[in-house]
Formats: sequence, C-alpha cells, structure tokens
Amino acid sequence: MKRRWLLALCAVAVFAGSLGCRKGGEERLRRGDRLVTATISDPKTFNPLLAVDSASSDAVSEVFEGLVRLNPKTQLPEPMLATSWEHDDAGTTWTFHLREGVTWHDGAPFTADDVAFTFAAVFDQKVPNSAKHVLMVGGQPMRTEVVDPHTIKVMMAEPFAPFLNSVGFDILPRHVLGPALADGTFTQTWGIDTPPEKIIGTGPYRLVRYVPAQLLQYARNPAYWMRDEAGGALPRLAERTSLIVPDQNTMYLKFLDRQLHLYGPRPEEIDDLRKRSEDLEITLDDIGLETGMLFVSFNRNPAHYSKDGKTDPRLAWFTDPKFVRAIAHSFDKQSMIRNTYFGYGEPAVSAISPENTTYYDPNLTPYEYDLEAARRLLDEGGYRDRNGDGIREDVHGNPLEFELSTNAGNQVRERLCSILKEDWTKLGLKVNYRPLDFATLVEKLSTNFDWDAMVMGFTGSIEPHASSNLLRSSGNLHLWQPNQQTPATPWEAEIDRELEAGARELDPRKRVAHYWRIQEILHRELPMIQLVRQRRFIAAKSYLVDFVPTVWGFFEPERIAIRP
Amino acid sequence: MLRFVLRRVAQMIPLLVGITFLSFVVVDLAPGDFFDTLSMNPSISPDMIREMKVEFGYGQPLPVRYGRWLWRVAHLDLGMSVAYRVGVLDLIASRAMNTVILAAASMVFTWALAIPIGVIVALRRGTLLDRSLSFVAFFGMSVPSFFLAFLLMYAALETGWFPVGGTTSLDYPILSPLGQIGDRVAHLVLPVIVLGTGGMASLMRLMRSQLLEIQSADYVRTARAKGVPEWLVVSKHILRNAMNPFVTLAGYELGTLLGGAALVEAVMNLQGLGTLMLDAVRSLDLYLVMGSVLMSSILLLVGNLLADIALTMVDPRIDFSRLETTVR
Repeated sequence: MKRRWLLALCAVAVFAGSLGCRKGGEERLRRGDRLVTATISDPKTFNPLLAVDSASSDAVSEVFEGLVRLNPKTQLPEPMLATSWEHDDAGTTWTFHLREGVTWHDGAPFTADDVAFTFAAVFDQKVPNSAKHVLMVGGQPMRTEVVDPHTIKVMMAEPFAPFLNSVGFDILPRHVLGPALADGTFTQTWGIDTPPEKIIGTGPYRLVRYVPAQLLQYARNPAYWMRDEAGGALPRLAERTSLIVPDQNTMYLKFLDRQLHLYGPRPEEIDDLRKRSEDLEITLDDIGLETGMLFVSFNRNPAHYSKDGKTDPRLAWFTDPKFVRAIAHSFDKQSMIRNTYFGYGEPAVSAISPENTTYYDPNLTPYEYDLEAARRLLDEGGYRDRNGDGIREDVHGNPLEFELSTNAGNQVRERLCSILKEDWTKLGLKVNYRPLDFATLVEKLSTNFDWDAMVMGFTGSIEPHASSNLLRSSGNLHLWQPNQQTPATPWEAEIDRELEAGARELDPRKRVAHYWRIQEILHRELPMIQLVRQRRFIAAKSYLVDFVPTVWGFFEPERIAIRP
Repeated sequence: MLRFVLRRVAQMIPLLVGITFLSFVVVDLAPGDFFDTLSMNPSISPDMIREMKVEFGYGQPLPVRYGRWLWRVAHLDLGMSVAYRVGVLDLIASRAMNTVILAAASMVFTWALAIPIGVIVALRRGTLLDRSLSFVAFFGMSVPSFFLAFLLMYAALETGWFPVGGTTSLDYPILSPLGQIGDRVAHLVLPVIVLGTGGMASLMRLMRSQLLEIQSADYVRTARAKGVPEWLVVSKHILRNAMNPFVTLAGYELGTLLGGAALVEAVMNLQGLGTLMLDAVRSLDLYLVMGSVLMSSILLLVGNLLADIALTMVDPRIDFSRLETTVR
C-alpha cells in the first residue's frame, strides 16, 4: 500500500516537473506582451477615493487618472485629463481645460460633470477619504462650477499653493457612481467583490481579473488617449499582471525563478543579485535615497512630566538645546548604515529627502559623529558624572536615565535603537530600551503621551505641505507635543507661520524659501533628530525598454515595452 | 437517533453564544483598534477616522455592539469588514475553496501515509525499520513548517521540478481543462508535503500504540489460537478495534479545515483563509475575526457530532443512550 502511494507521488512529481521548467519561465516572461510584477498585499478596495493603504491605490493606479500627475523626474505637475489650467489674480479660482475625446472604459464620454462629481464625493460628509482634509482650505470645502463640458472652475476660500500637487486624485465616473453617492451607499461601492468589468476608469489599463491573494490582471485600454512622439498607441504592453506575494522572501524566490520582470531588493539581496545579474538577464539600478525619514524624537510634552505639582527633570533635559545637540553628535550613522542597510544608505540631514529636488535644503551642516563634542556639550549644560558611577547627573543631581522605544518587529528600527543605546551608554547616559507593540505605541503617542525617546519614521511626498499634520504645532502627529492650543515655543510658532505662508505663496520659486526656513529651524532645534536613509534599488529584466524607475514611482510607465 | 442529533444541535447554540461573546470581549479588550495604523498616517486626518468610526458603529457600549452582531448573525448576516468594506461572508467564501482543497489534500496525505506506517512499525516493533521510520516522523514533526516550506521552495527553484509558490501558474486561464487540473496538482504538491509532515508523527505514534495495546488483548490471542490467518487477525480483529480514537480525531480535523495555515500560506503564497484571518486579528478587524471564530466553532461542533454518529456505526458497543450521558 505504501509503495503504491510512493509511486503515485513520483508520477505527480514527474508530471509537475514537465510543467514548471525554469527556462520556460524566462521564455514566457520575454515572449509575452505582458509585464509581471509583484505586490506585498491585497487591495482592500477598488474605489480609489476610499483607499487608505498603498496596496489599494496601487491596484487601480493604471485604471484611473487625475486631472494632472506629478512627473517623478521634474517633480512638476503634467497634464493628464486636464490639458491646461490657470488661476485668477487672487489665486482662489482655478480653471481647468479638460482633454476632449476621452472616453470611460464603457464608452461613455468623459466631461466636466465627472470632475464636479468627484469633487462632490471628496467633500461628502458620508465619504471618509484622505483627500478631503488636504483640500479643506480655510476650513471650507472647495466649490466647482461647470463652465462647459470641457471646462471647469474650482473655487476655494484662500489661495492654496499645494493645490496643483494635491489635485491629482483619481477622477470617478458620474454615470456609474452618481446614484450611490446620492443614496449614501458610496462607501460600499467597488469593494473587492465587484466584478472587474464594473470598475470603470479612463486609464491606460482595465482591470480584467482579480483572484484574491493571488493576482491582479489588467488589459490594455484600446481607446486610451495618449500617443507617443511617433503617434503610436500607448500603453505599449497589452497586459499587466501583479502577483500578490505576502512574504518578501517568497517574492525574492519568485524573481529568481523568473516569474517576475521587476523586483525591489532588500539591502541584503543586492550583492547576491549583482553576482547573478548575467544569469538572470537583469540590470540592477540604484534609484536613489528613500523619500521618507527615520528619526529619534524626545517627548517635550509637559503633560507627561507634571504629576502632583512636581515636574520631572527629564522635561528640562529634553528641551535643552545643549542636550539635544549633544545627542545629534552622539551616534554613529556609518555603523547604522552598515548594520541595517548593508552599506547601502546615507546619513540623513534634513527632514526632507534629498530626492525631493525642489524643496530639499542642501545648505544644512550635518551633525558629525563626534563623541568628544557631545561630551563637551553635556559638560557645558551641567550634565556631569558627580558621583563616579559612570552615569551623568544634571545640576540637581538627577541621573540621566530614560526610556528608548520603537515598534517591536521592525528590524531596522530595532537595530537602530541598539546602536543608539550603545553610543549613549558611552556618553554616560542610562538608556532603558523597550520595544513596544504597535497598538501600545500609538496609545503612547496619541493618548497618554507616556514615553521618553522614540525611533519613528514617516513616508515622504513631493508636496511638503503633506507633512503639515506633523510640523504644525496644533497637528495631531506633532509627536513631541501634539495638539497645542498656542505654539509652546517661538520656533514652533515660526514653523506654523512659514507653513501658512508656504501654502499661500503661488510663485513656486518664492515658495521654496519657506520650506528651506522650516528645515533650518528643525535642524537647529532638533525636535526630530534625523538618522539615516536607505538607498533603493530596482532589479529589472534587461530586455525591458523605456523602463525608468525612480524613488517616486515609474516615469511614464505607459511607454514600457519588452524587446523581443 | 434523531432525538440525539436534535438535542446536540440545541446544545450548540448556548455554546456558540458563549464562545463568540468571549472572543468579542477579548478582541475588544486588546489594546488599540483597527484605526491605530491610520492614525499614524500623516495623510489621514483625525476627522476621517472619526467619520469611519461612526460608519462602523464604534463607540457604542460593548453589550450593545455584541447584541447587534448576534441579532444580525441570527439573520445570517456576519457584518462588514472594516478594512475591506465587504461582507464578511463574501470575503470568507472568496478564499474558502482553496483552503478546503489544501486542508483536505494534506489530511488525505497525512492519513494515507501515517496509518499504514503506524501499522507496519507496530507489527515490526523494535526493528531497524520501526526506529528509522519513527525517526523520520519525529524529524518531520519538529522541523518548523515555514522553514520546511522555504527549504522545499528553494529546492524547487534549484531543480525546477515544482512551481515556486502560488496555486496556479500565470497561463492557467488559457490551459486545457486537463492542463488546469495538472497545474493545480503541481502547485499543491509542496504545500501538502509541508502541511502533512507536521501531523504525521503523532498520528503514526497513536496508531502504533493502539495496535500494540490491542495486540496483547485476549480476543487477539484467542483468534490466533484458533488458527485464524495472520492477515485476518490484523485486519478484522486488531484494526477494527483500533479505529475508535481515529474516528473522533477525524471529527476534530473537520473543525480545523477552515482554519487555514497562516504561516505556510503566507510563505508559499497560497490564497487562503489563514492569511486573511491572521491579518484580521493583527489589524483588529473585529467582524472579520468574529466571522472566522464563528465558522470554525460551528465546524468543530459539527465535526464532533459527526464523529460521534460515526462511532456508533463502526462500533456496535456504543449506543446513543450511553452517548447522551457521557458526551462532553
């Protein structure tokens, strides 16, 4: 009986072997008129307005389009559904001229009514979405006015410079979703159980198949409006497939198995891929530094330190410029890069990534790793080891002891914390490292403010106003002291003013000055002490043509083709 | 028999209410909620989170929410997932098929291998064969399943014998029907081996010890003494009597059928309930968690009932009147 089973197993093995031949994989990738990529998680919705995670917005990013899109190379808005735009002298009324002859995937014409409808959905009370609070200017929703089928006016209470960078949200079809918005069922539309042919956009691809936890498949929209210089139809590839692979290791194996055209390797895989690049027929591109930031912040919220009429000494240390500057000099960024990114990274200086070529301030002097300078600053501040136990005390004799936290399970942040602890111990600080699970961490940051020092990170974007929730003193993500009624310090008040001015200044060149000023203040006052930035790579089959990846996304992805 | 079944089904209802209420409380008491991740996202305003909480009925007291959930469940509506804004039943249904296929296949694999091996090693107790097979079984049990999954996938990558992860290949829709079945089977082999080896050792050891115990029973000695051929002794007297615990076990396994195997599913890129539920628990997507708790509990209870009914069929010594007093 056992032998029969083994025989059956062998038969299955041989059968399967004939199917999954490796060279066959490469052939399929190269010959097919289809780009195969992988994504780490399932979309949660196909309604782009309701998406709150990147997997959901990525899933339909080629199905829908906005009025404009940010060109990842120039980082400027370029025409998509709008061909041109202008604003009046006051800067409060914008007129968009819409592209003519564009049709929805179901053949209906695209008109200004669709744009007005999308704005109405964004500002609808019953539709929670992330575009709303960005576009609430002066606390008021924007109004729209359809001038003719291909012209629309958008009116706002005050001039709002981030408008063009924020108006790239996906335009939705009124003839499909209009009834749902009217009867209040909009949030239940286009869930992941919707048949793909019902998802109607104007984009270069249509969604044709979704198998949960397995793949998303797209087919070219033959009626797409965009043309290349020679007048050829775009997009060039007939199909796109996105495999859903929830495990990063598995994704890597699939790339090695020639199932994917592209892969964004982790730092530890880069050398391995470089060695195999010839065999795998790939090129490995350094696409630049990551766009977000990783930093260590100290809690400056008096609410945390005042108990029973007494104020904890830690508040005085953490708001002392000498103390935080000593900290900024105190850790070895090179060793962080070696240990967490296998050497593929750069020390971070500003809160804005250097990849944001418009708004990054290149004139800041980095805080070098210099334990001597750090010791000197601490001595000057009166933090000395007075009793010879190896731990410094402040002028009142309180030992410098505090807690350092980050979210448990994030390996990069955990390693950064252990390096910080090591260097800070050398300085004579007593650090208790305590990783926290995410829910506890959120509770500490937003409800009870019970934390001392925290390693945190945020994603970045081209539009600097997108971080206003973090920078403004009244913001709920103003980590070191959130939701302030009035700015606690003069420099926080100045940042508030600069943010305000930056949002009102419509001249792009003048606008930059405000954000440079904010970066200067942040660099001087150090509410977020910047750590390191990872260098990003993309491994891609070398027979992909016109494939231009950047850290901000692919440049003109509709041009990507496969060289036969 | 009908009376017995009806009574058992009636007993299930308070049990289910108890199980789901406890789970509801536990999920509710866990620190944080679904909106924690959103609250740390700079592009999401506190207003938006407030609106979403209203939309999903958060903020009402726990008994009210549980009562409402129960009321809806009584009408066969398991509520909506917060993350997906899709009915829980639809979500579960969309992934259930693959989980069931995988679980059933690995169950067949485990049982079909473990039981004959258990019989062989029991009959050849103490020989090299017994010891080496036991060693292999225990090795299979002690290797973590996700690690074995990686090892096998790496082997598949190096040899090209099996597909690396997934349940179907990209060309699946254009294959012939026979090709489609072959494609499915090819993708099933590795996961089935991974999931099957884990459970094999315990089943095999159970079979072995059952057999050893019964082999020394009086009726076996009697049968041998009156000259019954050895194969008849084994198949009719020993195996028949050794079956009872396996019938019960099979009932329990029905309950785990929809549970999925989250780690292996994630590593081997299989679409299943395991990863869906793991994500739901991690992100505290309350109604999705509750839906899965409900489904697994029902399956477990039904499996238990079926096992008891089956027991009376294979073992005439057990009758319903006795079962009723001894049921757990």
